[in-house]
Amino acid sequence: MGEILVELEHVGVAFQAQRSIGGGRFWALEDVSLQLRRGERLGVIGRNGAGKSTLLRVLAGILVPDRGRVRRARVSCQLMSLSLGFVPYLSGRDNAVLSGLLLGLRRRDIVARLPAIREFSELGDFFEQPIATYSAGMSMRLAFAVAMQVEPDVLLIDEVLAVGDAEFQAKSGAALRQRMGDGQTVVLVSHDEKQIAERCDRVLWIEHGRSVLEGGRDEVFAAYHRAQHPAPEAA
Amino acid sequence: MRRHLIELIAFSTYAELRAEAARSYLGLIWWVLEPAMMMAAFWLVFDVILHSGGPDYIPFLLIGLTVWQWMKSCITHGGYAIWSNLPMVRQVALPPLVFALIAMLADTVKFLIIFALLVAILWMLGYPPNAQYWALPILFLAIFLAAAGAGFVVAALVPLVPDLRFVIEQVLMVVMFLSGVVFPLTQVPESLQWLMALNPVAVVMDDARAILMHGQLPNWVGLGKIYAISIVLCTVGVLFVQRLAPRFPKLAS
Repeated sequence: MGEILVELEHVGVAFQAQRSIGGGRFWALEDVSLQLRRGERLGVIGRNGAGKSTLLRVLAGILVPDRGRVRRARVSCQLMSLSLGFVPYLSGRDNAVLSGLLLGLRRRDIVARLPAIREFSELGDFFEQPIATYSAGMSMRLAFAVAMQVEPDVLLIDEVLAVGDAEFQAKSGAALRQRMGDGQTVVLVSHDEKQIAERCDRVLWIEHGRSVLEGGRDEVFAAYHRAQHPAPEAA
Repeated sequence: MRRHLIELIAFSTYAELRAEAARSYLGLIWWVLEPAMMMAAFWLVFDVILHSGGPDYIPFLLIGLTVWQWMKSCITHGGYAIWSNLPMVRQVALPPLVFALIAMLADTVKFLIIFALLVAILWMLGYPPNAQYWALPILFLAIFLAAAGAGFVVAALVPLVPDLRFVIEQVLMVVMFLSGVVFPLTQVPESLQWLMALNPVAVVMDDARAILMHGQLPNWVGLGKIYAISIVLCTVGVLFVQRLAPRFPKLAS
């Protein structure tokens, strides 16, 4: 087993319900604990609103918990965000550099990968044109090609799996699979059980902001299914 | 980490300027045309119509507005930067000051372009470059620190209370009129002189005109006080932003 990279102990995160004086708070995360070890691929399952995305933002260091503790080894945790910081009036090339810098890459690294990004995104000469002239598909291909370049110690993915047309979906899915192999530590959030089952070896199940069960994939899925489909209820 | 942030700030500043130039038909020309139109408007009102200008009014006004526009845009653009970038603040773990600095640096680049033009115009008006220009960088740094300090304080508060934006524009207009930007403050009562000496905007206006129009060096003691005030303001602003930083990613824009 690898060393522990990130550890959450009874973490809770509260949001202000609305922007007004004396507005109440609600806890998007109530009490979540987890351990993430090097090389692990952890999937997070739970229904909509269970707090999966909030959890990911805590792991990324974007949100500071209001209670509980986060312990992090000296590692970088990066949320894989598509189209981060894209500016419509700039060329694909400039946007790739900008987005890469925002995703934590050094300038020389992103510049060295520009040919690969151009190639992967299949933009051709459009790479030098403002992205305002792109179709939605072209824009997504560029976004994906840039996001694939991030190289944090811990890669955090929130449902950004395959984008574009069928052909590009196959290509991006394959690239992502490769990215998640190679001993990369990954936390993947999805409400699509199949994605998690295919790509993760450990699973954390959260419900209403609380961790219900963390463990091996099959064990957690079995418990999850038992809870989801007890005796069918009358609606 | 630190180098990465410097690269990010530098490239984002370039990207911001580039995008701004691409956004309108005349692009870069607006950087000069917009302040020129405003200067013409003030000249029309105060000199042509009200005859309140005096002989040196045009250079007086040009210098005042050029410097003031820089300060004002640093305070407003820098001050609104965290708020307007909240969607990004929610997605990436960056020190929020980065967003304010990018906006301020972009405005500084624009100021330097306009300033180069100002020097050329002053020359045509009979105020050629003089030996005291060496003091300009020292003055500019004081101006930037004062504006950045105010901008950081605003940047910390606007995400929490966006309503402040409506107040800030009005406050800045009052500051402009009280600081000798568009007309000289010849009638400040004796009892308020000490206050004006601590108003960074009024002091840097005087110093900029002293160098550019009269070839005189700034009053170093007065400028030293402005440095002290500005550094305190910057420290307060930075601490403010850092203290409130954990709340920003939770805010709706």
